[in-house]
Amino acid sequence: MQRREFLYQGGGGFGGLALSSLLAADDVSPRADFNGGLHHPARVRRVIQLFMTGGASPMDTFDYKPELERLHGEKLGPAEKPEGFTASPGALMKSPFAFARYGESGRWVSSVFPQQAQCVDDMAFLMAMASKTNVHGPGTYMMNTGFILPGFPCLGAWTSYALGRLVDNLPTFVVLPDAKGLPYNQRGPFSSGFLPAVHQGTVINAGANNPVPDLFADPRFEFARGRADQSARELLHEMNHAHQQSRRDDARLDARIRSYELAAGMQLSAPEAFDLSLESGSTHTAYGLDDAVTEDFGRRCLLARRLCERGTRFVQVWSGPQGATGNWDNHASIPKELPPIARSVDLPIAALLRDLKQRGLFEDTLLIWTTEFGRTPFAQGGEGRDHNGGTFVTWMAGAGIKAGTAYGASDDWGYQTAEGKTYCYDLHATILHLMGIDHERLTFRQNGIDRRLTDVHGHVVKEILS
Amino acid sequence: MRLLLLVSVLGLVLPGHAAVKADDEESSNSPHQADMTPEDVQFFADHIAPLLQEKCAGCHSHASQSMEGGLTLDSQSGWSNGGDRGPAVVPGRPEESLLLQAVAYKDPDLQMPPDERLTAQQIKLLTEWIRRGAPDPRTPPEVVAVDADWWSLRPLQPVAVPGDGHPVDAFIQARLQQQQLSPVPAADRRTLIRRAFITLHGLPPTPEQTAAFVNDGSVDAWPQLIDSLLASPRYGEHWARHWLDVIHFADSHGCEHDVKRPHAWRFRDYVISRFNDDMPYPRFVREQLAADVFYPQQPELTAALGFLAAGPLELSRAGTAPVTFDYLDRDDMVTQTMAAITSTTVNCARCHRHKFDPISQEDYYSLQAVFAGVGKGDLSFETSADVQQQRRELSQLRQAAAARNGDVLLQQKYASRVQSWLSAQAAAEVDWLTLRPDVFVSAGGATLTRQADHSILASGVVPDEETYTLTAPVPGERVTAIRIEALRDESLPMNGPGRAGNGNFHLSELRLQWFPAAGVTPQTLSVSRTSTDFDQDGWTSAQAVDGDRKSGWAIYPRVDQTHAIVLELQQPLDLTDGGRLALTLQHLYPPKHVMGRVRVAVTAADPAAARLLPSDVAAAVGKPQTARTQEEKLAIAAAALEEYAVSRQAELPPLATVYGVSSDWSHAKKLPQPMTPKKVHVLQRGAFDRPQQEVGPGALSAIDWLPARFSVTTADGESVRRAALADWLVHADNPLTHRSIVNRVWQFHFGQGLVNTPNDFGRMGGRPSHPELLDWLAVWFRDEASGSLKQLHRLLMTSDAWRRNSMAGGDPTGQRVDAGNRLLWRQNRSRLTAEMFRDSVLQISGRLDLTMGGPGVEQFRKSKGPQATPALDYDGWDWESPQARRRSIYRVVWRGIADPFMEALDFPDLGLLAPQRGFSVSSLQSLTLLNNDFVLHASQWMSDRICSEHSDVSDQVRRAISLAWLRSPTQAELARGAKFVQRHGLAAYCRVLFNSNEFLFVD
Repeated sequence: MQRREFLYQGGGGFGGLALSSLLAADDVSPRADFNGGLHHPARVRRVIQLFMTGGASPMDTFDYKPELERLHGEKLGPAEKPEGFTASPGALMKSPFAFARYGESGRWVSSVFPQQAQCVDDMAFLMAMASKTNVHGPGTYMMNTGFILPGFPCLGAWTSYALGRLVDNLPTFVVLPDAKGLPYNQRGPFSSGFLPAVHQGTVINAGANNPVPDLFADPRFEFARGRADQSARELLHEMNHAHQQSRRDDARLDARIRSYELAAGMQLSAPEAFDLSLESGSTHTAYGLDDAVTEDFGRRCLLARRLCERGTRFVQVWSGPQGATGNWDNHASIPKELPPIARSVDLPIAALLRDLKQRGLFEDTLLIWTTEFGRTPFAQGGEGRDHNGGTFVTWMAGAGIKAGTAYGASDDWGYQTAEGKTYCYDLHATILHLMGIDHERLTFRQNGIDRRLTDVHGHVVKEILS
Repeated sequence: MRLLLLVSVLGLVLPGHAAVKADDEESSNSPHQADMTPEDVQFFADHIAPLLQEKCAGCHSHASQSMEGGLTLDSQSGWSNGGDRGPAVVPGRPEESLLLQAVAYKDPDLQMPPDERLTAQQIKLLTEWIRRGAPDPRTPPEVVAVDADWWSLRPLQPVAVPGDGHPVDAFIQARLQQQQLSPVPAADRRTLIRRAFITLHGLPPTPEQTAAFVNDGSVDAWPQLIDSLLASPRYGEHWARHWLDVIHFADSHGCEHDVKRPHAWRFRDYVISRFNDDMPYPRFVREQLAADVFYPQQPELTAALGFLAAGPLELSRAGTAPVTFDYLDRDDMVTQTMAAITSTTVNCARCHRHKFDPISQEDYYSLQAVFAGVGKGDLSFETSADVQQQRRELSQLRQAAAARNGDVLLQQKYASRVQSWLSAQAAAEVDWLTLRPDVFVSAGGATLTRQADHSILASGVVPDEETYTLTAPVPGERVTAIRIEALRDESLPMNGPGRAGNGNFHLSELRLQWFPAAGVTPQTLSVSRTSTDFDQDGWTSAQAVDGDRKSGWAIYPRVDQTHAIVLELQQPLDLTDGGRLALTLQHLYPPKHVMGRVRVAVTAADPAAARLLPSDVAAAVGKPQTARTQEEKLAIAAAALEEYAVSRQAELPPLATVYGVSSDWSHAKKLPQPMTPKKVHVLQRGAFDRPQQEVGPGALSAIDWLPARFSVTTADGESVRRAALADWLVHADNPLTHRSIVNRVWQFHFGQGLVNTPNDFGRMGGRPSHPELLDWLAVWFRDEASGSLKQLHRLLMTSDAWRRNSMAGGDPTGQRVDAGNRLLWRQNRSRLTAEMFRDSVLQISGRLDLTMGGPGVEQFRKSKGPQATPALDYDGWDWESPQARRRSIYRVVWRGIADPFMEALDFPDLGLLAPQRGFSVSSLQSLTLLNNDFVLHASQWMSDRICSEHSDVSDQVRRAISLAWLRSPTQAELARGAKFVQRHGLAAYCRVLFNSNEFLFVD
């Protein structure tokens, strides 16, 4: 870690420079004999994370609770409003949806996820995840950065920092927010925090004509397009090259010269990567692109697959914006609010999973489905559910995952964890482990602390690894 | 480094005697040291301590700097508090102790030590120990101070300068000589002036300024240049940003509800002015922590209190998790204050004592207690003491008028004002035109009938709540005031004018709307002032237009007579195009207090003349002067001086507002009355639901010659706490504060600080490269410069070290011995920050607007977001708008939705303190610099500017290079440039210059 510290402590003079180039000489750089891993062989080289904004209800989706049917309507919860609840808890409430068992693994899945139900034998479930907060903003930070306060780097930024890029011509860490808006904390969940800005998520508006910002000059500026643009780069290269002659010791100047070459590569590759019209009609249908309900999420799932195929390392696909509607924060009514949002993702997720598998991408790609916390088994205002960091569900599929397994269990109500409790620390430790990173050894010195994604916590959940 | 860390090494700090009494009560079942038998102690020392040391300490001890799973096993409190999974040992109950479950390897989730199982014998020993009640005689590391002997905590001592000449150079040279390094020569004058401008202003010099300096042969050209740069307001604009970074200041809350703080800019302007005024640093600190205590006679300094409110605010948590909110919001204030001013990382002591520095949890929570009486919110303040004084006097005069205080009102100094008011009254003539309502509705179900005098009389039901809506055409040309009479009528209880049993009414709210004849949208008319002939005590006419449903105008006990209220319009109503006036009279509280008979009239007269006088004043005015009683004279004086005071008040500048901290706010809500400081407890492991002992305000105990706990009583109020901390911080003997600031300033001159971790002078931070120089500077800054940053700039910039070339030169020694240039054998090359780039581009392209101060510029399009946070579109911003030309310091910085352009050039995430700007290179950054609309617009502007100055292509290229690089082109550059411009245009060429390393980097 010596070199890394040298690079980043320097501030103005020797600020963290193009790590991927300088780390090549470092003894903690990703190693080919580790399949690109940092500390041990990597099973996973790329990640697609699906994030359900608002707190997806576990007991209405994947965590079947027959006890709630027996106790439905009984007021057995806390008498006073616990810290972080938005209201005093009401009576216990059963799920309004029918559950059935699926696959050889026999996982229980509710009727809101008919498509994912067909894929449970490919998934491994963390059935007892917990959060340290019941508030959206801090909860979203926690699941992405491991801290409930702003300013910390997210998982995608850490992997970019640790492993660098797979290819030069696409962004390393791409974020695809819901067309309806950004999640809680705006761009905070994709921030590189105190890591260099180069590691932050590139936010792509999947529906826009020019999804990668500033990829080309606006057509209004003729002088910056086509042949003029080409000549400008040649001239720039000459200028920067001449400038560098008397300043050979400054690696930053060289890195900038090379960054323009890489940018040219990205201009060539990105338009193709983002062009969904190159996909077949049957693929469009499979991802739900011809159905208004599934179109937005489906488009972003398909885009995520294309980007990963082409070498983007980390893609995050968000379902739902922040706010009280159009997401998974179903305070008012589980039977009315959950089915539409569930339907908007169910088919695209199943399509993505099958597609990754069928194309052989599961050899080195990890698919994660998660949310910031769960919901109460107690009713809120009749038929809604309040925030609950007590227990919730995450599933993973793909490379390195023991398919068809589950780890942990919530209590009989689905209020708290009962066994096999995991936090974001354990999830993050497991993901890093799969990527060839020891979560305890991936550090960055910041204000007197060797910061880790997993703080002082984290255990790799070996039970769900193949 | 670890050698200096003299914490108790696990298991070795045993009390010399078995029966040592523990200082603290421990809340566990473990036997106290006093209860331990010598056998217990011996057993522990022989068997358990070595076992824990060998097998567990590597991952679970303070000494190893590692507490995996939050667990330490190096003290009784460590294992009894336990880690994430709870207590590790339950004394007397081996079967319930997690420690034994872990070493037994029964639970696949929990197997410790992870790499090798303990032997059966070792497990047996642990079991036996727990069975005995787990006697643990070790002194907890918590009470063994981490060694306070650390460079940054040592007292500042005068240091002898090691040689003659410039003191800075003497220190630097001494170190270079030790390493047998020769410094490179000074940079050329062109390089120096660019470096000086960028360093002090964040802007480049013009080619003309550059030429003038290059050709200035006078010996004091350099110091004169420095002085002129320091005298320019551009200096404060640039250096303010450094401070705003350090304290993570932004214009919005951040977090989930990332809403704008529309008044935060006052603090930004305050910081700019303080840098420009060269306010001594200790005073700058005092102002920001407690201007209200130290400088109450300068109310404008309230803006400084924006300091403590600079960081993020988790609005959502404030509502749903208030306890957590309090601790974490204060954590942000503590972290910021101590990192920015003392370069310490106290926040590391939130969950446990600081692992590396002598900072206890109690120190940390004492600092929280300093801020336990404030919350973040908008504060109103006077912009000058003079205005404050005037406002106070006028308010006192109005109080005297209300109280009819003759000692004040009948003073000679007011006599002429009263007289001229009387003359004006005599001259006043007002024509009231009675309106004839043709629509009149009772929402409460009363019967309304129009009377011959065009008044409306209510009868029938007396509802609890009543709203009358009257509309009428208005003849004439304009209306300046409206009068509503509440008329006496014998059909009403007590002859009215109200319908309540006692004849009273309460007019809660009234609304005036104008329906233009041609339009459909009514216009709500604003009332600037109200007056009546009589107000019931506590129920005044102004309350009828204050928006508060529970207040209103009433007239008790003066029933059985007619009263009136006059409403002066903010803007005269123009009747030229015709229309209708609608009046809504709401009677909401208390029940049945409804007007009985109402008549409306309008006037076009001067509103001051239309104003109603209290009935006794009106009667007095009507009498001849000689016939007036003393009481009547007093009534006249009261009315006259009230009038005078109100009009003077209206002329005073309004109160200003800043987003800051005060005791008026808690959980982001304004309180009805200032709060008393909340109780602060030490939190076990930082958990909000595990409060331990309560603590009072204080600071770091490691500096033992300063008072670490502040003696304040609850009666003192919260502000005394902040003042006490400020006193502690800027105390001449506080070594941290003075070292911290000189190091920060050094960093912005040399690219890195003498200590290269500007926010951490602890054991995890960097060590000073030149400790004697740092101390000499700190003492000099404190004693000689009296805290003047401008003097410090002068000192640094007149050194040879500052003026050195940034090129390595021909001699490879420096590169080999000290590639990182910690010894400063050359100057460090820097890259323009996001602001420097943007402002430089604006200046070069002739578009920079140097207007200072005021509300921030929103350089984005804003639309409604999914919840409180708006959606911001930076691409949609119009770069041709005049606001686009302002300096970057005046940008609105939205904490959670950063400007992608600024971010590409490493503008920091202000969720955290940002003491240093990062440096990154990426293809996305290159694309931004090539293709972002700002750069493309600016390329065109620069081209337009040059084309207006030169028509010859070679001249254009020469000028472009001169503006961007401040030098003449080589022949080859000129020829190449001209060829390029001829083919692709000058704008294309300017775009290349903006992307060039020669422009982006400062040698």
